[in-house]
Amino acid sequence: MRGVWLIGFVFLGLAAGGQDVPPLDKSPMDMSYFPVNYPVLKIQNKSTGSPVMRVIYSRPQKAGRQIFGGLVKYGELWRMGANEATELEVFSPVRIGGRKISRGRYTLYAVVNEQQWTFIVNRETDTWGAFKYDPRRDVVRVQVPATRTVNPLEYLAIFFEKSATGANLIVEWDHVRVALPIVL
Amino acid sequence: MFGLPCRLFCEIVMRNINIIVLSLALAGCAERGNRNEQQPSRDTSRTQPRQENTVNPHAGVDLSPMDMSYFPPNYPQQKMGKAVSDPPLARIIYSRPQLQGRKLFRDVLKHGEPWRLGANEATELELFRDALIQGRPVKKGRYILYCIPQQDQWAIRLNSNLDSWGLKPDSTRDVTSFMVPVTRSKFHIEYFTIVFEPAAEGANILMAWDQLEARLPIRF
Repeated sequence: MRGVWLIGFVFLGLAAGGQDVPPLDKSPMDMSYFPVNYPVLKIQNKSTGSPVMRVIYSRPQKAGRQIFGGLVKYGELWRMGANEATELEVFSPVRIGGRKISRGRYTLYAVVNEQQWTFIVNRETDTWGAFKYDPRRDVVRVQVPATRTVNPLEYLAIFFEKSATGANLIVEWDHVRVALPIVL
Repeated sequence: MFGLPCRLFCEIVMRNINIIVLSLALAGCAERGNRNEQQPSRDTSRTQPRQENTVNPHAGVDLSPMDMSYFPPNYPQQKMGKAVSDPPLARIIYSRPQLQGRKLFRDVLKHGEPWRLGANEATELELFRDALIQGRPVKKGRYILYCIPQQDQWAIRLNSNLDSWGLKPDSTRDVTSFMVPVTRSKFHIEYFTIVFEPAAEGANILMAWDQLEARLPIRF
């Protein structure tokens, strides 16, 4: 059934691509703000102040595969998304792993292991995946524990949750959930 | 006056349909609890948006997925392939609604009414350096893009009300406006599309949907 859906999806993509225009991505792009749902709150006049940050990422699907320890190999660098490198845009300074992160755009990667992940904040932007990743451009690396979830998640999800000290950047896919603490 | 809250509500419902479906499913059969492997439902109606193919309790995948267009085109891929020393000049972040059997100016848009040139979050143009749009200088930075379509030409507006949802463009925050001709194309574009089309000394911002195309010239 999913196969049929995917074929339909690809077909639509091809139909749209008849004129050198980009077809629809199999791993669609998405965007998450902090404060959560800021754009909606803004037009409802419920937001106070400016947004703090946002993440722009593409959302691959599990599609029956084992993700962590399978598709994403333990100990190797993972692009934490698909297509264009996952981007964190900071509108007002925050702290990650004790480091001050100034206003600007950054890329996010992770080294995934079974028990813990290393999040990487890097300053090389406007790039594709992790193919040109350069550790000399790292801003900070932070190790966090990985937790196992009961139910698998089909699409990679990256989003913010409010925390006592600011926000957690949550990354969840398949059976794994990880939180990167961000101090405001 | 009640149009906007209703549309916003519908949109939020559609965007969070998975959560709503999940809540109902969990309420209905709490013991079974098999929440993530729902089969995709193929929509037979031509006007209803397609249902999501999976349940995701955190951030559902949008019916009108987001996309990103760079100038120079495919800049991130180029950067991967070879050493690109120049930074990118511009990019657009927008969401891509589908026609699904509808005619653009019969069922979706109205002449003279603001159109957000996308879906969900307001469409965003980021200029990484100062540019000339239709020969007029525009400072580098982020702008919201929206449109007032007419029969033969569209007004493309740059607006400063950043990080907003596209449904309610605030015209008091308009920065500038450009009139561009609309032409008919032989192509039939299902998903709304914005790309930078290279042109002499710069690009055209090509906006294409259904059988219509509009081009806004930009130089750097």
